[in-house]
Amino acid sequence: MKHAAHTTTVLLLFITALALAPLLLPEFYITLLNYIGLYAIVALGLVLLTGVGGLTSFGQAAFVGLGAYTSAYLTTVHGVSPWLTLPAGLLATALIALSIGIVTLRLSGHFLPLGTIAWGISLYYLFGNLEALGGHTGISGIPSLQVLDLEIKSGRAFFYLIWVVLLVFVLATRNLLDSREGRAIRALRGGSLMAEAMGVNTPRAKIVIFTIAALYASVSGWLYAHLQRFVNPTPFSLTQGIEYLFMGVVGGVAHVWGAIIGAGLITILKQWLQDWLPKLFGQSGNFEVIVFGLLMIFVLHRARDGVWPIITRWWPQRPTQARVVVEAAPLARRPMPKPGSLLLEIKDATKRFGGLVANERVSFSVMAGEVMALIGPNGAGKSTMFNGISGVDPLTSGTVIFRGQRVESLPARDIARLGMSRTFQHVRLLAGMSVIENVAIGAHLRGNKSFIAAACRTDRKEEARLLREAAAQIERCGLAEQMYEAAGSLPLGKQRIVEIARALAADPCLLLLDEPAAGLRYMEKQALADLLRRLRDEGIGILLVEHDMDFVMGLADRVLVMEFGRKLAAGLPEEIQRNPAVVEAYLGGVE
Amino acid sequence: MDMQIALLLGQDGLTNGAIYALLALALVLVFAVTRVIFIPQGEFVAFGALTLVSLQAGKLPGTLWLLLALGTLIALIDGALALRNRQFRRGLWIVSVYCVLPLLLAGTLFAIPAATLPLPLQVGLALMLVVPLGPMIYRLAYQPIAEASVLVLLIVSVAVHVTLMGIGLLFFGAEGSRTLPFSDVSFSLGDALLQGQAVLVVVTSVLLIMALYFFFERTIYGKALRATAMNRTGARLMGISGTLAGMLSFTLAATIGAFSGILISPITTIYYDSGFLIGLKGFVGAIIGGLASYPVAAAGAILVGLLESYSSFWASAFKEVIVFTLIIPVLLWRSLKTHHVEEE
Amino acid sequence: MKREPSIAWLLTMLTAALAAPVHADVNVGVTVSATGPAASLGIPEKNTLTLVPTTIAGQKINYIILDDASDTTTAVKNTRKLIAENKVDVIIGSTTTPNSLAMIDVVAEAQTPMISMAAGTRIIEPMDAKRAWVFKVPQSDAQMATAIVEHMTNNNVRTVAYVGFANAYGEGWWNEFSKIAEVRKIQIVANERFNPTDTSVTGQALKILAAKPDAVLVGGSGTPAALPQKALKEKGYKGIMYQTHGAANADFLRVCGKDCDGTFMPTGPVLVAAQLPNSNPIKKVALEYVNKYEAAYGKGSVSAFGAYAWDATMLLGNAIPEALKKGQPGTPEFRKGLRDAIENTKNLTVTHGVFNMSPQDHLGFDQRARVMVKIDGGGWKLVQ
Repeated sequence: MKHAAHTTTVLLLFITALALAPLLLPEFYITLLNYIGLYAIVALGLVLLTGVGGLTSFGQAAFVGLGAYTSAYLTTVHGVSPWLTLPAGLLATALIALSIGIVTLRLSGHFLPLGTIAWGISLYYLFGNLEALGGHTGISGIPSLQVLDLEIKSGRAFFYLIWVVLLVFVLATRNLLDSREGRAIRALRGGSLMAEAMGVNTPRAKIVIFTIAALYASVSGWLYAHLQRFVNPTPFSLTQGIEYLFMGVVGGVAHVWGAIIGAGLITILKQWLQDWLPKLFGQSGNFEVIVFGLLMIFVLHRARDGVWPIITRWWPQRPTQARVVVEAAPLARRPMPKPGSLLLEIKDATKRFGGLVANERVSFSVMAGEVMALIGPNGAGKSTMFNGISGVDPLTSGTVIFRGQRVESLPARDIARLGMSRTFQHVRLLAGMSVIENVAIGAHLRGNKSFIAAACRTDRKEEARLLREAAAQIERCGLAEQMYEAAGSLPLGKQRIVEIARALAADPCLLLLDEPAAGLRYMEKQALADLLRRLRDEGIGILLVEHDMDFVMGLADRVLVMEFGRKLAAGLPEEIQRNPAVVEAYLGGVE
Repeated sequence: MDMQIALLLGQDGLTNGAIYALLALALVLVFAVTRVIFIPQGEFVAFGALTLVSLQAGKLPGTLWLLLALGTLIALIDGALALRNRQFRRGLWIVSVYCVLPLLLAGTLFAIPAATLPLPLQVGLALMLVVPLGPMIYRLAYQPIAEASVLVLLIVSVAVHVTLMGIGLLFFGAEGSRTLPFSDVSFSLGDALLQGQAVLVVVTSVLLIMALYFFFERTIYGKALRATAMNRTGARLMGISGTLAGMLSFTLAATIGAFSGILISPITTIYYDSGFLIGLKGFVGAIIGGLASYPVAAAGAILVGLLESYSSFWASAFKEVIVFTLIIPVLLWRSLKTHHVEEE
Repeated sequence: MKREPSIAWLLTMLTAALAAPVHADVNVGVTVSATGPAASLGIPEKNTLTLVPTTIAGQKINYIILDDASDTTTAVKNTRKLIAENKVDVIIGSTTTPNSLAMIDVVAEAQTPMISMAAGTRIIEPMDAKRAWVFKVPQSDAQMATAIVEHMTNNNVRTVAYVGFANAYGEGWWNEFSKIAEVRKIQIVANERFNPTDTSVTGQALKILAAKPDAVLVGGSGTPAALPQKALKEKGYKGIMYQTHGAANADFLRVCGKDCDGTFMPTGPVLVAAQLPNSNPIKKVALEYVNKYEAAYGKGSVSAFGAYAWDATMLLGNAIPEALKKGQPGTPEFRKGLRDAIENTKNLTVTHGVFNMSPQDHLGFDQRARVMVKIDGGGWKLVQ
């Protein structure tokens, strides 16, 4: 673990440097560091929201304003202590973030950023138009913070407060991301489809990170109000909201430290331009914004993932944080249905896309402990059927009965909870995450520790058990050597196997495999077939879509053939191979 | 509110909405082809109008220097590239397009007093000064990172916007300007008085939208752009260069932006920073159209114009709050309507 | 991809940021809104500061001018920088009221006098220990609003509509104007807002027309103030129009054109310096500034805002010799001396009026600081 030790040393050095900074640096640098800290807290929220969760927000400045205005109003008008206004501000922000989140996070794709612009602007004008909040002119005379008799007034005293808050937030965010819930958040970026199929409640995950980001912003606003002791609407405008996003992206929006780097880089750069440009161009004209913009374009050209990934190249890459503890207790397993009992029953499944009928009144069943193969030419509606069964894209009509329960109208995550797990035809792995972390997403429903537990690291016992399970499934699928490699670096065939391991980590009793053998070499196919046989013997039911006929016929207990969305034939493999209609469909009317 | 007021507000909303619609179309086009959310679109509105103002005032517009500077920069970069690859003819072509043409334009401006020219020529000159900035900015700022994520392209857009705004302040100053109206005619419609220029804005917008429609349906370049918008890789495989498509879409966007600015500058005051808010409202329209559908985007933009006009009558202090809060349900509705399983 | 150059560049940037100038002369720190929404006010202020004398009483004066982009956070950051890094003895700025309000705490803490160029009365009232360090040069909104209300009463205006910026400027004017109008029994029949960059104010104009006021006051600054007026004229409004002193620059006249003929506005005498009677002492001072500014920036370029910066430096020019008796520049004694000297300014004629400050009044202007002007044929005419 030499690399990890290296990273810790750098972190300790950084903290020591920060602790000493106020003693060594001149006053104004402390001021700058204070602002950098305030900005970084907001940008950190964006790392979680945008960089990790993939939700772009322009509205963070409005949440900063909420924190700042709540405190400014309560302290100046009602004389409340600033230490009480902090929870008040957090509460107000949480309530508003939740209600805004519930409405706007439903927005998909590009509707969301615009939604954030919309409420960002609305809140800004509300601040400016409410007379109680000082209108556009603002509220002055906000008291400074006091700890016992000590007044936190000077920049140096504030420095410690801001940076302790920031570091605590950074570490909490880092802990959170390296946990069960963290993986669920990271899975959002790969599209909510996979996450939902693994049992992640994606709307909830989105709202949670949205609220956390808003709360970070609110704390920054509270600090701002008492540092500045004056608030007016301009620092909370859309322009500033864009600037926060700017900081995040320039620093490296996928990395917690990118927030600090981005905030620091932009703040210092602006100061530097303010000092040097007048010397180059004289006092007339304002070249600062122009040069600033040009430099930013340049930086983004050179480092489109932000500056942080460049900095990390100065010391060895830190390895993935998730490590298996072999001693961890194994996870509890669900009771398996008796082999041969009815597991899944599909009746009259129909799916329409507008005028196109992808599935038309298809019926079949899968027993526990059998491999059922679903075959048919491209476009026959096999993957659509998979999506319908797993709840990812519900059927238009028809029933799906899974373990005696009707599930056709349940969301995917609830079906997953009942013990159905699946892989995808187009691999849906998180390329940047290690294999073990990807597989651990599959075990999402087998843990229950919350976000807060993850941030405070009280989830470690459960985390170890989850990772042990993931590791066991990886070994079982024969990928032990690639366990800590980035999933995206594996060949496509192996990535499909990772998908199977991930599905297995959910401890399923029904496994839906969409073309698992595509891209595998002969030996690998053999190994896969062996694995599937073992799973069948354990009592798991397997529904398989596959084009490789040798593979299917050698493995399947029963076969269902689909064509143009309809059932063409069903039966034992031998029967299917002799069925003239099937031969016709596959070979296309050979004379 | 009586009928006459309602009519006047409607006219006002339509006029603004028509401009937002034009910008919305340009934004949809640029996004579909290049995945760039073109925030600097608004700057083209301001630059177009203010360049015309400079020409009419007999001053040399600052945009000329920008054109020369960007042209030279591209000529240096691409010229050096061509020389290294020993493509001398290409190098010559690059220099003549990016350096000689702008210089000729500069020469023309020095030689003839633009203020005395008839209005259509002035408009033409202003467009010639501003429109080439579009593809040039694409070449310099976006093409090198054409494959980056939408978020990075968006942030680059912000940076370009900030830069152009700074340049705008430098060239045109903080104070606003108006141009001479195209027509002083006004019509009376019932009790209401229709301004000739406002009618002109709406009519021209409609004509431009129709022209765009024909461009996309009937011309080879239009079809190439549509192909790129639908499937970037596929279009490239069919021999449609992504760079060419990008340059073309930026040229169109710049033309639409600059022309919109020229259209409204007689009826309102344009400032160096006017563009952002106008562009933002066009963006709202574009998003309502899902950054994909032209007619819905245009309808959305007109909706924004109308909302704005009526809310500025009812509660002017809360105008933005009303407009942007009312946008959210529309977005929700659109978002639910365009619900689809993520493409596999 | 090559990325190394950006690292090198980062390093240079960080090290270069550590350099800071050291001076032994009087250092005047300035923060103005030369970019952002208030740029039309800040730019002439910044321009003026390049014309002011650089020696006062034989002492060299250094002006360190920073732009705050019309943003309060930046204004405070600039103030802290000027105090901590440039060791300034006095701060001039900022351009807007919110920015100036935000700076008060910082200058009071550092015991450095500050001269604001923003109009808001709240900057110097109510007088307290912090505001003891704060002065301002522009006439207060209240003073200007009184002038307008007086003019209205004299012209039998009974009902009035207000349309102002949706920002601190429009709000400041509304607060003062509505208060004074109420006292003088003028009824306000409409109160509308618009954004400086709005492309249309038709809605507001129609609302005002429907209320049929005798007069309309536009509370905006610079060229954007012309938009409501043009919209009202176009819709056929025939009543009296008033503008605020914020609109007092040549660009406003250029944009508003003939639609603004007959408009009344209160302003500092500098705007109509040439029309002042020769007996008025302000005339000479104001003309000197106007000539100097127009020589540098072109005929007709002068505005009331640049003159505020000029007045601020005149205030300093008057106070610095006194302060030098108390201590050396760069010392707390000097700054305290400077504060006291500014507070004791008596009968100092500047371009906008005559300063007579006191511990309770850190503006010190009287009636002489405001004149009513009428726009006539594309120029300002002094209303006697």
